[in-house]
Amino acid sequence: MTPEMVSAQEIAAELAQTPSSSAISLQMSVDNYLDVIRGVLDLYANKREMDTIYVTATISSDAIKRVLEALDIDSSRIYFVDCISHIMMGGTTTLQDDRTTLVESPTMLENIMLKVEYLIRRSQSKDKLVVVDSINSLAIHNNNWILSEFLHILVSGLRSREATTIIFTVQEHTTPEINNMVNLVCDHGVLAGKKEG
Amino acid sequence: MPQRTGDRERCSTGIEGLDTILYGGIPRANTVLLTGSCGTGKTSLALEFLIHGASKGENSLFVSVTENSEKLLVNIIPYKFFDKSLVKSGRLVFVDLPVMYERLGLTKAELSMEEVDLLVSAITSLASELQTKRLVIDSITSVCYKLKTSEKIRDFILKLGKSLSDLNCTSILVGEVAADSTSYSSFGVEEAIADGIILMANMERRGDLLRTLQVIKMRGTMHSRAKYVLDLTPMGVLLVPLLKGGSTG
Repeated sequence: MTPEMVSAQEIAAELAQTPSSSAISLQMSVDNYLDVIRGVLDLYANKREMDTIYVTATISSDAIKRVLEALDIDSSRIYFVDCISHIMMGGTTTLQDDRTTLVESPTMLENIMLKVEYLIRRSQSKDKLVVVDSINSLAIHNNNWILSEFLHILVSGLRSREATTIIFTVQEHTTPEINNMVNLVCDHGVLAGKKEG
Repeated sequence: MPQRTGDRERCSTGIEGLDTILYGGIPRANTVLLTGSCGTGKTSLALEFLIHGASKGENSLFVSVTENSEKLLVNIIPYKFFDKSLVKSGRLVFVDLPVMYERLGLTKAELSMEEVDLLVSAITSLASELQTKRLVIDSITSVCYKLKTSEKIRDFILKLGKSLSDLNCTSILVGEVAADSTSYSSFGVEEAIADGIILMANMERRGDLLRTLQVIKMRGTMHSRAKYVLDLTPMGVLLVPLLKGGSTG
């Protein structure tokens, strides 16, 4: 029998317990990816009306927008920093627009920080959320040293700006080193994988 | 932002990251060489420095040498904080140096020592008349091409720096260097005379080209000497530390 997945509602309920302006590690199963996106974005962008900066290194922002549309989630408060579309060299139709900023490559970690900073400054919303999707995708392109440094500077900066950060980790792709790196900068951990028992 | 007590009065650049690097801003009345190869963001940074100053009520003057100032204004990044009324009110003034050359009769390819004095005097008079508190010359390298010798370049920058400093005016001299240059200036003189040097560059890392900024020297203040990565955005120049990734090199 296939183990049951944690639902979007359960993920949202658990995230709702965490204080604002904190850094949260959200570990998910690869099978639970869409539920996680739904749970996170529905809670923060829609219910809490927070401007959400979604750093995507896993799939293109276009693909996520289509998912949100299919899930009937309003994406008007969601701004994308897309680190993957440009290196796909025409494999996607994603274009830079008011809500989508392209970073040439996921190896340009400083540029990711700069785009996040730009969107934070531009945002009129009092509360802001930054989602990093995912640390494992970034780890494909970067070594652990530079990734660890990136996370430390990014999360510290966001904390000082009182923004909430959620870092996605995919259980099936993670390593103890990556988990340590994420745990070092996060205040809370949420597990959104397969239900036990 | 970290501040040091007992320091000289600061001229805040208005660029948050740079002011942090400089512990509050450029020491007032300093002459700073803002140098780098093409496409590194020197003009954008210099313009932002002036716009922030003008917005705070400090009269600001941009002396354009290489580019027609009308064209410059058209190509300016659509800064969210740029209010065109600053230009209309005269708080932010653009002057084309070639026009000034013509008015002063400095039409020869090479200026004499007397003509150098005349040019310094004309720029200083203009700055004084406009009660300029921030001045940018873009680029000083182009002016130096008309001076030719190290002696005249030294004389020009020293005299200009001194007279602008006497006006309590903080100045940025934009310098151009070749991408592969190991020097901070084209003639090797500008860097020695300036009170400060801010180096902007393109840095390649594993095939990625990053725009970087580093303060090499700044008289009158402590400052970071680390390299930062920058982005030119409608919100202005943004800076983050260059990631080292455990590198020992």
